Amino acid sequence: MFRIDRRFFQNFDWILLLLLLGVAGMALMNLYSASYPPSPWGMPPFVKQCYLFLFGMLCILFILFFDYRELHFWNYPFYVLIIILLLLVLFVGNSAGGAQRWINLGFFRLQPSELAKLMLVVTLASYYSRKEQTEGYGIRDMITPVLLTLLPFLLIMKQPDLGTALMLGIIFVSMTVFAKIRLQTYGLGLVLGGAAGVFAWFFLLRDYQKRRIETLLNPAKDPMGQGYQILQSKIAVGSGGVGGKGYLEGTQGHLHFLPERHTDFAFSVWGEEWGFAGSLFFLGVYFTMLFWGLYVAMTARDRFGVFLSFGVVMLIFWQAVINLLMILGFLPVVGIPLPLVSYGGSSLLTTLLGLGILMNVRMRRFQTGQNADKMK
Amino acid sequence: MKWSGYNNLEELTEYDDADLDFLKRRIVFAGLIVLCFAAIIIARLWFLQVHKGDEYRDRADNNRVRVREVAAPRGNIFDAKNRKMVTNRPSFNVVLVREDSNDVDKLLKKLATALDLDISMLWEKLRDASTKPRHIPVRLLVDVDWQTLAYVENHNQEFPGIRIETTPARVYHYENLAAHAIGYLGEISKKELAARDSDIYTGGDLIGKMGLERLRETDLRGEKGSSSSEVNARGFEQQLLKSIEPLPGNDIQLTIDAELQKVAEDLMDSGGKAGAVVAMEVKTGRMLALASNPVLPLNQFVGGISHKNWNALLDNEKHPLINKVVQAMYPPGSTYKMITAMAGLSTGVIDKDTVFYCPGFYTFGNRRYHCWKHSGHGAVNLKRAISESCDVYFYQVGLRVGVDKLAEFANKFGLGHKSGIELEHEKSGLTPTKEWKRKKYGQKWQDGETLSVAIGQGFNLVTPLQICLMTATIANGGKQYLPQIIEKVTDPDGKIIEQFEPVVVTEMTGDEQFLPLIREGMEEVIQGRRGTARQVRIKGLTIGGKTGTAQVVRLKEYKHLKEEDIPYKFRDHAWFTCYAPAEDPEIAVTVLVEHGLHGGSGAGPVARAILEAYFSGYLQLHEETEKAAKEEEE
Repeated sequence: MFRIDRRFFQNFDWILLLLLLGVAGMALMNLYSASYPPSPWGMPPFVKQCYLFLFGMLCILFILFFDYRELHFWNYPFYVLIIILLLLVLFVGNSAGGAQRWINLGFFRLQPSELAKLMLVVTLASYYSRKEQTEGYGIRDMITPVLLTLLPFLLIMKQPDLGTALMLGIIFVSMTVFAKIRLQTYGLGLVLGGAAGVFAWFFLLRDYQKRRIETLLNPAKDPMGQGYQILQSKIAVGSGGVGGKGYLEGTQGHLHFLPERHTDFAFSVWGEEWGFAGSLFFLGVYFTMLFWGLYVAMTARDRFGVFLSFGVVMLIFWQAVINLLMILGFLPVVGIPLPLVSYGGSSLLTTLLGLGILMNVRMRRFQTGQNADKMK
Repeated sequence: MKWSGYNNLEELTEYDDADLDFLKRRIVFAGLIVLCFAAIIIARLWFLQVHKGDEYRDRADNNRVRVREVAAPRGNIFDAKNRKMVTNRPSFNVVLVREDSNDVDKLLKKLATALDLDISMLWEKLRDASTKPRHIPVRLLVDVDWQTLAYVENHNQEFPGIRIETTPARVYHYENLAAHAIGYLGEISKKELAARDSDIYTGGDLIGKMGLERLRETDLRGEKGSSSSEVNARGFEQQLLKSIEPLPGNDIQLTIDAELQKVAEDLMDSGGKAGAVVAMEVKTGRMLALASNPVLPLNQFVGGISHKNWNALLDNEKHPLINKVVQAMYPPGSTYKMITAMAGLSTGVIDKDTVFYCPGFYTFGNRRYHCWKHSGHGAVNLKRAISESCDVYFYQVGLRVGVDKLAEFANKFGLGHKSGIELEHEKSGLTPTKEWKRKKYGQKWQDGETLSVAIGQGFNLVTPLQICLMTATIANGGKQYLPQIIEKVTDPDGKIIEQFEPVVVTEMTGDEQFLPLIREGMEEVIQGRRGTARQVRIKGLTIGGKTGTAQVVRLKEYKHLKEEDIPYKFRDHAWFTCYAPAEDPEIAVTVLVEHGLHGGSGAGPVARAILEAYFSGYLQLHEETEKAAKEEEE
């Protein structure tokens, strides 16, 4: 059985834990304010999110007992499981007369599409780390990862959940570019990607999704409501000024401002109440966490470790960037949460699991083979 | 502990320092990208919070941005000759923006006394909207009159939060004309709202509830616009930030000719007749008139129909809620005899010269089946059998071909299945077969029943539309067209999105050679000396047609009564179907008058009026040339 020895504590990534607790602490505080005043019925989002956070921390602890390299093996059953869940959502979800993205587990509603993001990181990391190409990957090497990405991508597209599907694409591109591919593969990728885009435009996208993309390309043709949300978000953040209005004092957030004020627009509430100073502090902690993740990747001991940690960082980084740019009025509303901060169980768990993998990579960077066996 | 299939994790691990170094260089590069984005976000934050912070704080304190939906004008509906049938007019609604009123209770009381309203009704509207954000206007009064409008506009200082909004409302230029086909609008229900795209519909929107308004909702609805403006703390609009014009819906032109439709409806109406009138172009499938009487009082549905009115419609024994063109099924009566004749000719049981003797009845088994003419027709050939509608002749033909053969031909002429016309709840009718009876009743088919079927009684059921399609197929030489009611759909720029194209569903191969014989008989019905519909005759126009009487009940107690003494709901239905001109048919008209007794007298005149209206130009010309010819002779 496990022998928890000194080394576990010695090698444990205390810094990442500290950063993570910092961000999560601020997020929960903010969530309390965003859903303030509490509604008289049901469990307040804040309490629910606390429970989920604790659950996520337990998951991380559990993860740490395994060597991350075992993911090479575990990756397959996970992949299949997630695909099954995605199919389930498609077939079961259609009964609700609209898009349904979750499986109801009673206590919380699991969104398989969130888990799919992390699964894709693991899958691609496993593939690229085992398939080494000093010359860079050719076209033939790309078939497997493209197919592995396309399957969940299309299933999520069909839900339809444009934001999450987009994320899968971004993860794929980031990790593939990172792994070095040949020049002609780039060319082909661009052509195929373009063709797929055109195809999607005509056959896959629903009208409202098209309208969102059109809004991005041509802001003057603004569909109902979205411009309103963005404008309100800008007013909220801007009115925070340098020092903010103070905790629980935000007016924009508490008026009728946004239906999603504790989900996608969580940071608008933060910006309004803590101002430029508070936002800087928040972003400082958040981005330090990301840079630390990159540092973990730098110091990993093998290719798989490098890819895994890099992928996890990219997963969090891109979601954060897209969410923040949306809140600050640079992007259309796409429905991508701010990892760790937005209210939502599936997103929170996925991010925590990802960070758990990061810690795992960090912990096992000094072990040689023998040590690794002793750890167990 | 072994948790996985690997004995040795080392197998999976590669130590390739050179390669790792390469990846690590790339991580540094990735770090730079992360840094760039962080810088962009921080710069943007600085811009919003420090540089423009005061301005935004102002806006947050004093001003709020309001986005108002601007309803799109719904597409217009025109008739075949481009006459306006349904268009829009502005309607004014009194709305309340709760956010701008500091004392809703007081405000409503004041408004109720000023305009003499029921205050509980106002509260109900507010309750319905209680889940919506407080800046969304709540409609208190819809489509108010000028006095109310002027009053509210003039006293708007006294009613903070009350405003007037303008929305398009439907105008029916021909009142209830073609009401069943056009349909009506209503406020979107919660159920409909849940099933639809929330980007397009919001509560309070009007949506097609019936007819083309419902079926063509996506064409007609257009796209909402919006106007965002800044509103100060007192709810007055400061400046317009942005407005997006709504996109009007697409216009629909019908194949229906309002004039013919009007003739049909008026005639049915003036005679107090209930039933259906169908007119179509025999060579295209264009429907020219589709009347179902009594008509639907469309205006009662605007703004939601009251319970009282609804129940009155439900209880009306003439069933105004049913579109009798496609939703009501009747026995076809003698109009079915063309089917029996076709089956006989095609199978070779009869030819045009086959003669049966009619003594006024036909004995089959131990029963006597009567001809409607009790004195009998004597020796009858096909032409006379059709023109004088001799039952005995068709009993004989029906017996010889059998019920399944009859059903097969009925199907060939479009009976027994849905036509696919763009109208709601079309019924398929019924053409009985041996198989059908076994399935439905678990009983064997009796040959006696074939006799009833052969003359269009018994289990047979058809819709008026089906009889019209049958007539058109006979008239055009065996082609079954898809009946269509839309001529074209055009977008607001006038670009044609959809254009009428004739669609042939099926075409006869071989059997059409017998159609001229049938038509000969049908022309004799009107032009013949003893035809059953001589009163439909029009000078200068040769018409082919057929009368029919559909038995409603076979009650002994009414047998000996005079027809007009039989209670309304037990009287027989009257059919008349026809096509013209006989030389080269253009139009088919079918009329069914519920409980109208006889085809010739009950339904014939309506068809005649439609033909006169349709051929009016042609008939005038005919008359003038006749006159001129006469004068020349003199």
